[in-house]
Amino acid sequence: MEIRTSDRFPGVEWVGDPGEFVRVDESRCDGCANCVRVCLAECFEIKNKKARVRSLAECMECAACWYVCDKEAVIFSWPPGGTGFRTDWG
Amino acid sequence: MEICDVLVVGAGFGGPVAARKCAEAGLDTVLLERAAVPGEKVVSGLVIPFYGFTFGPDFIREGNPPIERPICKVVNRFVRHGEIYATDSTLRVPKPLVLGYAAYCKPFCTWLADRAVEAGAELRTSTTAVEPILEKGAVRGVVTDRGEEIRCKVLIDAGGTQNRLAIQAGLRRKYLPEALELYMIWDFEMAKEDVDETFGLSMEFFHALPEEGIGAPLGYGSTLYIFTYRESIHPGLGQFLVTRGEIPNLAGLLPRYFDNFQEKVTRWRRDIAPKARLRAVTWDVCPIYAGLIPETRNMPICGDGILVIGDAAGFEASAFGDGVPSAWFSAELAADVAIEALRRGDTSRSALAAYEDKVREHPYITWIITDWRRWDLRKVLVSGSDTELRRMIRDHWGIGAFRYRYSGRPLVKALREAMRRDPRAPLKWIEMFTRYYRNWEENRFDPLSVPGKETG
Ligand SMILES: Cc1cc2nc3c(=O)[nH]c(=O)nc-3n(C[C@H](O)[C@H](O)[C@H](O)COP(=O)(O)OP(=O)(O)OC[C@H]3O[C@@H](n4cnc5c(N)ncnc54)[C@H](O)[C@@H]3O)c2cc1C
Ligand code: SF4
Ligand code: SF4
Repeated sequence: MEIRTSDRFPGVEWVGDPGEFVRVDESRCDGCANCVRVCLAECFEIKNKKARVRSLAECMECAACWYVCDKEAVIFSWPPGGTGFRTDWG
Repeated sequence: MEICDVLVVGAGFGGPVAARKCAEAGLDTVLLERAAVPGEKVVSGLVIPFYGFTFGPDFIREGNPPIERPICKVVNRFVRHGEIYATDSTLRVPKPLVLGYAAYCKPFCTWLADRAVEAGAELRTSTTAVEPILEKGAVRGVVTDRGEEIRCKVLIDAGGTQNRLAIQAGLRRKYLPEALELYMIWDFEMAKEDVDETFGLSMEFFHALPEEGIGAPLGYGSTLYIFTYRESIHPGLGQFLVTRGEIPNLAGLLPRYFDNFQEKVTRWRRDIAPKARLRAVTWDVCPIYAGLIPETRNMPICGDGILVIGDAAGFEASAFGDGVPSAWFSAELAADVAIEALRRGDTSRSALAAYEDKVREHPYITWIITDWRRWDLRKVLVSGSDTELRRMIRDHWGIGAFRYRYSGRPLVKALREAMRRDPRAPLKWIEMFTRYYRNWEENRFDPLSVPGKETG
């Protein structure tokens, strides 16, 4: 499986294709930007008053975005087994 | 389709303990883990407090798990304008006794999972449980990301903070953001001699009023700490997803606190930074105040065919952020209840409800999730009183922590229970502390099925 790294967050590897395991349901989103505020990997951006996932390339699968979205517009699931982030230093 | 007796979801800190116990009792036990290697998706502090080892599973005490450093002392630094104006290091024990053991998650969880496999549990890695199989409201197994159905008589949910199985089963709801702290962790390589010389066997905290800008407002997060490992140090800090009623810009704040700390605090600039090299940056959320918020605390921890343990059940110490001991305690309690239920052939909600009683009666779990000491630091935000801050820290991370009304009470209760069960328990503890210390000095632990980290 492909392995990716990030300069900003060393010591972590992202393995394989995790797919769109975090998504935004635009019909529920009111653009409050809570998800943007808590995501340390800057995975979200606001476009036309709606959140959208910019990139999950540095996502640490913490689900903070899911917890702060009281509109239930963030759809969070785990990436398929064995894909996504991993670290020796957690 | 296959049917096992017990399906444990999650091979982090709690899952393998439950799986081992069930397998030892002769039950057909499957342990699922979404990571390819147990622990490589777990982000933690991590110093595991001594009481997890003394009052937790026998096999951990009797084994030689990979520890990074025995921690015998807490050094509380009080910081103003970048300088340390006071230090409280009253909380200490003589080696080989410890306050806790520092550890990395991947080797430690791998070691635990190895023990489950050794006892006969079947470990399936790279497998995510996607949803529960429900029949008339009862949990009967899970569907995996490969679309296979694994059926079970009892499911033990050990999936950690974010796991959604118990929510999908209609048992629990997602944690309120007020209960959750977002922690950011930086791992630095440092030569062992330098860690020994700069810190010895201590861990260090940097307490300050908010204007210092090196941490969350008091009571709304975890003070900047440096945990010390064999050849590395592990600074971290955190803040709740809701602070003073609002969702703060944590994406900006957490890195900024640490930047300020690195720029301003002389202890870091002079004594530590020249010897340390950044190796990793990670983060995760944890349900630290789950036990303090009634809506979260009162969510069920068992249902028809399901038992929930560890972080998934909200068992994190509200004053300290320790969750590993409670994950171990609840894993053993859940396994006991599952074994008994299967023996009687009844895994209904009422048969499994014994788990709730056992958790309630446990000397530590309920007590540590309802400890207000960290939350109460908010008072200092109002008073701005440095004297009050130092007094409160002394009762929290200083010698006052052992007062009977604080950590003394569960300790005395647990000691009594352990001695009633086995009068020789204290001898076993001394033997463990001594052996763990020697293991650390000789850097020799049980071999792991998946080789550990590569340093350098
Ligand atoms: C930053 C931080 C610092 C901490 N510091 C400390 C500390 O110093 N001391 C201390 O004692 N505790 C500390 N804790 C808490 C401690 O890490 C947790 O309490 C502990 O890991 C909980 O164990 P658990 O088994 O419940 O969950 P975890 O250890 O998180 O394990 C859950 C496992 O389940 C797997 N999983 C989840 N969902 C699924 C699924 N659907 N299918 C398959 N697998 C799944 C995960 O990959 C993971 O391996 C800290 C936590 C954090 C985040
Ligand atoms: S938190 Fe939810 S509602 Fe707010 S912007 Fe993000 S997705 Fe939209
Ligand atoms: S899971 Fe965490 S890192 Fe990933 S998008 Fe959500 S907040 Fe960002």
